[in-house]
Amino acid sequence: MSVPLLEVNGLSKTFGSVQAVGGIDFLICEGRCVALLGPNGAGKTTTIRIIAGLLKQSAGTVGFVDGDHVGTGGNRAMIGYLPQAPSFYNWMTGLEYVVYAGRLCGLPRSHAVSRAKELLERVGLNAAAKRRIGSYSGGMKQRLGLAQALVHRPKLLVLDEPVSALDPIGRREVLELLQELKRETTVLFSTHVLPDAEELCDDVIIINKGAIALQGNIAEIRSRYRQPVIELELERDEPSLKWADAFAERHRSGTNVSSQTAGLIYDVSRQGASVRFSVTEVDAAREQLLGELAAEKVRVSRLQVGYTSLEDLFMKVVSL
Amino acid sequence: MTSGAARYFAMAQKELLELVRSFKLLWVPLVFVLLGIMQPVSMYYMPLILEKAGNMPVGSVIEIPMPLGAEVLAQTLQQFGTLGLLVLVLAGMGTVSAERNSGAAALILVKPVSSFSYIASKWTSLLLLAWGSLTAGYLSSWYYTSLLIGEVDASRVLGSLLVYGLWLSFALALTLLFSTLLRSPAAAAFSALGASAALSLLAGVFPKQAGWLPGSLSGFAYQIASSGSAGSDRFGWSLACTAAAIAGSLLLAGQSLKRSASVD
Ligand SMILES: Nc1ncnc2c1ncn2[C@@H]1O[C@H](COP(=O)(O)OP(=O)(O)O)[C@@H](O)[C@H]1O
Ligand SMILES: [Mg+2]
Repeated sequence: MSVPLLEVNGLSKTFGSVQAVGGIDFLICEGRCVALLGPNGAGKTTTIRIIAGLLKQSAGTVGFVDGDHVGTGGNRAMIGYLPQAPSFYNWMTGLEYVVYAGRLCGLPRSHAVSRAKELLERVGLNAAAKRRIGSYSGGMKQRLGLAQALVHRPKLLVLDEPVSALDPIGRREVLELLQELKRETTVLFSTHVLPDAEELCDDVIIINKGAIALQGNIAEIRSRYRQPVIELELERDEPSLKWADAFAERHRSGTNVSSQTAGLIYDVSRQGASVRFSVTEVDAAREQLLGELAAEKVRVSRLQVGYTSLEDLFMKVVSL
Repeated sequence: MTSGAARYFAMAQKELLELVRSFKLLWVPLVFVLLGIMQPVSMYYMPLILEKAGNMPVGSVIEIPMPLGAEVLAQTLQQFGTLGLLVLVLAGMGTVSAERNSGAAALILVKPVSSFSYIASKWTSLLLLAWGSLTAGYLSSWYYTSLLIGEVDASRVLGSLLVYGLWLSFALALTLLFSTLLRSPAAAAFSALGASAALSLLAGVFPKQAGWLPGSLSGFAYQIASSGSAGSDRFGWSLACTAAAIAGSLLLAGQSLKRSASVD
């Protein structure tokens, strides 16, 4: 069902003594929308620029898969690329630019003109098509960037932080456009915010410090890494907060009073007056906790049982 | 038309449009025309200027022989070699690096275009700018020279124009090369002007040994303008050497763009 399109193998890049990307592997399948998710400095832009052929890797390969054969090097005709902050020729009009992009991709002039008009209509720029790009807003530039990237019907659309720099309205517009585009072509986009990835992608590749922390189908990851958590909200009184810290300390040092608690609860974290217990078994852990809370006279204002979100997982893998 | 040629034409067209929209195609030729007119006009009025400005004792007669028209044209070329060359190099210094620094090159070079077509399109626009400006300036100078000072043979004008145009083309090929190698436009301008000046100096100091180098072309052009012939057996060599140096610079620029670790 899933046909491999692009294979990245052992890719690494060092700038002087800084290793930006350190040996990553992944496979992008045809028709999927893949998010490259990671905090700032994780190596997303570096990876994307290597895939686009703008930067030479220090080691590893990037290649389009054709049957059993994996090509070497990026095939520029197959990729549509939009950088993080695209820069156009401000003295050109939007229409002129997309026509120019089409001609550079080998379209004859007349085809390029009709394709450009069609795409500008598509990205909602037909009213501004004859205006200088210098007068465009950030959202308009991003949509123009999408139009020029799509002009030659690329097999893979590669976008670097397509919505990060936009205001909420521009962001919404571009996200909606991407929702449509991902139905027609394979998309690889990077982002540092999880909600954008969750909104758009089928597969996610989480990278941190140049290495892949986690990758796979996003729905699968969500259910696989779903862990029960118990959240306590304490009143902000001294003894209760002290108890929480002491509990966390005992947990860390492995000297928890009850040996049972130690096995049931594998992580404790406090933020302000709320304490999170990551547990293996909700019922037994809850019983243990309630017993201790009563014995220590801890003032609990709320106790909630729930599951870790993808956000928790993301925060956890990128804070390693 | 092959697809490679079609892409080159698209890029060259864009470059020309940029020359027009950035007004470079207006003000650079204007500088050359002003320089070209100034030379014969100032020569013509020189005695008058000296008389008015100088503190000559009353009654002294100023005897300044009016120069020949051909000499005025050679002087015009010298003007082009300093101020004119400076303006051309300044206009071309960021031709590649500015696009790479702004990020505009990333969107172009990521498309299936060759770095050689890209360099060739830049070169085309620089050539047009240089030859257009030189021709406009030189012809204006010729017109005013024949009007005010004396007739000059069309063949001398044409010959010196072609040789001088080749010299400017060489300087701009260097500018294009340095603009590709160096990220700073100012450094590119400095290097190109420095290299041109060094070559000219070399040819001036060692006319025998260095006469076949591109640097001697400007001197040959003055010779052709003032005496009608280059007057050296090294002239042919220096033409060939310059053509080869231009081709080499362009190939090197294309190659270095293609090979550089970061294309954009
Ligand atoms: N041209 C460069 N020279 C030196 N270091 C760089 C360069 N580009 C990126 N880096 C470093 O590589 C790391 C990854 O950067 P980048 O790929 O831009 O991250 P991201 O896009 O995920 O924020 C960072 O630590 C950054 O400082
Ligand atoms: Mg980035």
